[in-house]
Amino acid sequence: MRYRLIAVLLALLAAPGLAAVAESQAPVKIGVIQPLSGPVAASGNYVRMGAEIARDWINARGGIGGRKIELIIEDNKSDPKEAANAAEKLIVRDRVPAIMGAWGSSMTLAAMPKLEEYGVPMVVETSSAASITKRGNPWIFRISPPSEMEALGLEKYLPALKIKKADFLAVNTDWGRGAVGAFGDVLKKHGVSVGAPEFMDQAATDMNAQITKIKGSGGDTLFLTTSVEQITLVLKQAQEQRFQRRIITTGGSSSPNQLIKQAGAAAEGTYHILFFMPWFPEAMPDGKLARAFVDEWSKRGHPFEGLTEGFRGHDGIATIAEAVKIAGKDEPRAIREALWKVSLMGVNGPIRFEKDGPAGKESGQSRPSIFVVQIRDGKVTLPDFVAKK
Amino acid sequence: MRLLVAGLGAAAALTLPLWLQSPYHVHVVIMAGIFTILACSLNLLLGYAGQLSLGHAAFFGIGAYTSALLTLRLQWPFLAGLVAAAAASGLAGWGIGRLAFKVRGAYFVLVTISFAGVISLVSVNWMELTNGPLGLPGVPAAELFGVSFRTKSAYYYLVLAGAALAVLVCRRLVRSRTGRAFLALRENEPLAESVGIDAVHYLAVAAVTSAALAGMAGSLYAHYTRLVSPEVFLFTYTVTMVIMVVAGGKGTLAGPVVGAVLFTALPEALREVVAWQWQMVLYGVVLILLVFFLPRGIVPAVGAALRARMAPRAGEPRLEPGARSPLP
Amino acid sequence: MEQLLQHLVNGLVLGGTYALLGIGLTLIFGLMNVVNFAHGEFYTLGAYATFTALAFAHLDFFLAVLAALAAGAAIGAAVERVLLRPLAGESIDTTMLVMIGVSIALQNAVLLGFGGVAQSIPHPFPTEPLVLGAVSIAPLRLVVLAAAGGLIAGSYLLIHRTRLGQAMRATFQDPDTAQLMGVRIHRVHTVTFAFGAALASAAGALLGPVFLVYPSMGDLAALRAFSVVILGGLGSLPGATLGGLVLGIAEELGAGYVSSGYRDAAGFLIIIMVLLLRPSGLFARAERVG
Repeated sequence: MRYRLIAVLLALLAAPGLAAVAESQAPVKIGVIQPLSGPVAASGNYVRMGAEIARDWINARGGIGGRKIELIIEDNKSDPKEAANAAEKLIVRDRVPAIMGAWGSSMTLAAMPKLEEYGVPMVVETSSAASITKRGNPWIFRISPPSEMEALGLEKYLPALKIKKADFLAVNTDWGRGAVGAFGDVLKKHGVSVGAPEFMDQAATDMNAQITKIKGSGGDTLFLTTSVEQITLVLKQAQEQRFQRRIITTGGSSSPNQLIKQAGAAAEGTYHILFFMPWFPEAMPDGKLARAFVDEWSKRGHPFEGLTEGFRGHDGIATIAEAVKIAGKDEPRAIREALWKVSLMGVNGPIRFEKDGPAGKESGQSRPSIFVVQIRDGKVTLPDFVAKK
Repeated sequence: MRLLVAGLGAAAALTLPLWLQSPYHVHVVIMAGIFTILACSLNLLLGYAGQLSLGHAAFFGIGAYTSALLTLRLQWPFLAGLVAAAAASGLAGWGIGRLAFKVRGAYFVLVTISFAGVISLVSVNWMELTNGPLGLPGVPAAELFGVSFRTKSAYYYLVLAGAALAVLVCRRLVRSRTGRAFLALRENEPLAESVGIDAVHYLAVAAVTSAALAGMAGSLYAHYTRLVSPEVFLFTYTVTMVIMVVAGGKGTLAGPVVGAVLFTALPEALREVVAWQWQMVLYGVVLILLVFFLPRGIVPAVGAALRARMAPRAGEPRLEPGARSPLP
Repeated sequence: MEQLLQHLVNGLVLGGTYALLGIGLTLIFGLMNVVNFAHGEFYTLGAYATFTALAFAHLDFFLAVLAALAAGAAIGAAVERVLLRPLAGESIDTTMLVMIGVSIALQNAVLLGFGGVAQSIPHPFPTEPLVLGAVSIAPLRLVVLAAAGGLIAGSYLLIHRTRLGQAMRATFQDPDTAQLMGVRIHRVHTVTFAFGAALASAAGALLGPVFLVYPSMGDLAALRAFSVVILGGLGSLPGATLGGLVLGIAEELGAGYVSSGYRDAAGFLIIIMVLLLRPSGLFARAERVG
């Protein structure tokens, strides 16, 4: 008789506990918006692969408070309208409490009004336009550097580079134009003269005309800002025109190994500003994490050249997961509050958000690490002026 | 019978936000509404005047940018911006009409493509005016007589009114003398000209009306998404409009409406059903199958089926479904 | 001045391939009155066929290009036979819409099969450019120009020196009479479409190694093909050839001297001007009415 009573009491006590456990088994959903098709599909897919690694690692360690992470991935087709649609779908249909996206600056900007409308935070992993964090959208948290920060990252090497006159060739988007402005300002501050910038359409394949024009400008260095596909084409066409100048690519999407593979000798001697050096993972702020990421990436059979962008996916998801952990629940507002308290080590380096933008409606901006590498003898190395330090 | 169906349809449309709970679905319906206006406008040129314009996205984009620039930079009120957008597009339509109707058929098609191409390039490169690829974010919300159309439900009614207006305009035009002139020109242009119907004049009327409606749709789009960028000139918008008109049934009044609703809902429905890699492949296959089995479009096919159902028994002559148009 | 020469040379090479695209489309558009929206997709297919042949089957370069030609012809013939022939009596919009559907399905099938990442086609030619005075040109581009020229010449021979070509010309001029004279119109249509598709595939196979290969590469190609057709006049081979060269050079000069952003505008503006001043194009006979 007594045992029966005890059993019933135990069952009654256990019931709410079981219910809580059942509820907490539901996975934490995180939305991901990337260009998985269109002219920049390579980059979008690399970011996706990095995100998947982060998800698997976190789930292997038990998830967040016992709950697994589930990524809901949408393709924005390199089109801002699709990015906005994807954001809406993720928020309303899939009820994600947080999103990572959307790679290109125009796509991110298009999705931003939806974030404010529904009150859902988004971690920006790649976009570089300054306006993203200056617009006064308190639901935006960016871990990638705006072009201004990138240019400042190069500043310390300017004396060693000894540039007299620089030219620009950039993709005609927010990203390219922003880079031209930011780098131009920094160069001019140091007394470097700047030639007229040339632009190319995102889908253009023939840049011979622009290269011919730049050849006649008298400069000694060319700053090139675009995705790896176009960089390949520019380098090949520059070689065909016997363009003999120093070339520095910016934006971090240059995937040097892909350049070596597809542009061959044309890539020799070029410099690249990146935010991850998979060739020297131990030199990254958290060497062990970086090495582990590189190893996992190759274990999955992903192309090595994708690492320079794939890490963005990892860091973005890791940031969101950390925020959910701090918040204790997967609720958008709580996650946003928690993002301000996040301080973790990503593959790129420390991630911590500072206020950026108009008072009262600040967005979060982290200060990522910035690196410069060079292609020499068909391999990626540290440039002389960096190695000496 | 017809009135009953129409009445039910109207009742459903008017109360939509009440029974369609998900804001995402309302969003799809709003986009369908905007595309309805676009499809109706293209139908005027393509279905009634018989001219294939593949630059229609240009009129859409001109309307969107005009409205956005006037309300954003000069603080014009929404309604004034809308009217100006329609006017600007209408003017462009008139210009194209005058230029292009000197040539017909394939050549007209290519002039319209070129026009759209040039406008698209201008929007990307003329930074001072359009802000180039960065676009115009922060377009103010639509406001009419003190009512602000910020929420989806409110905007739905605005778009519904716009779509109703577009259909009404098309209906009036088609049923008027101008409409009969269109028909005459479409069926047999030299003959029509010989009885005094000035082809260029009527084609210009079609072009201006068509472009103005598309411009209005552009303005509605700009104030809904609150961000206008050169992507509005993408060729895929034009292609989508053409699909909607032809698959829905060109030369009919209901065709573009059906086409717009179907082909706005289709990609979203596919998004639910299949992984992202297969969505567009299926879209293409559905399109091919649709055109293959219903070459005149959905509405004429449904109409013919209904007529066959209600046809008299053997012995009495059957009515022929609508005349076929030999386009140039 | 040296810049001018370099621009001209660049434009010439591009123009040769544009001519290939244009010839194929002018035959399809002119003879069959089909607005072939999928023309760009055949270009893409040609490039991917070459890529597959070289990267996986390790064929010789020229064999790979031939394989691409054959693939284009085969798929083109299939599309015509299965989709276009049954729709023979329908309006031009209907056939156009079917081709739009084919274009969407094909492009996304390629995306599905090969992935969205751009590929590079390996080629056996040295990468060091040949230098002729102030102008430098890669050996690959010279090969492309030569091959394009060869294919154009071949097309002329086909159209003007063979029975098949005679049948095609007859069908273009007056299908009813041609049919009365015993020409098998249906067969001519299939062959014409296959031929046009094959030329587009050849253009893709040749330009693939010069640039990069990715699923949406056909979009720009299709637009240029239409521009060339309008420039040269519907149904005119010499028109398409000259039109292609003019477009290539105009684009280069426009990008070089006006503004790189407005590169594509050159093509469009030419079209508009030609149509205003000489609507039937540079070479065509007056357009048939009705």
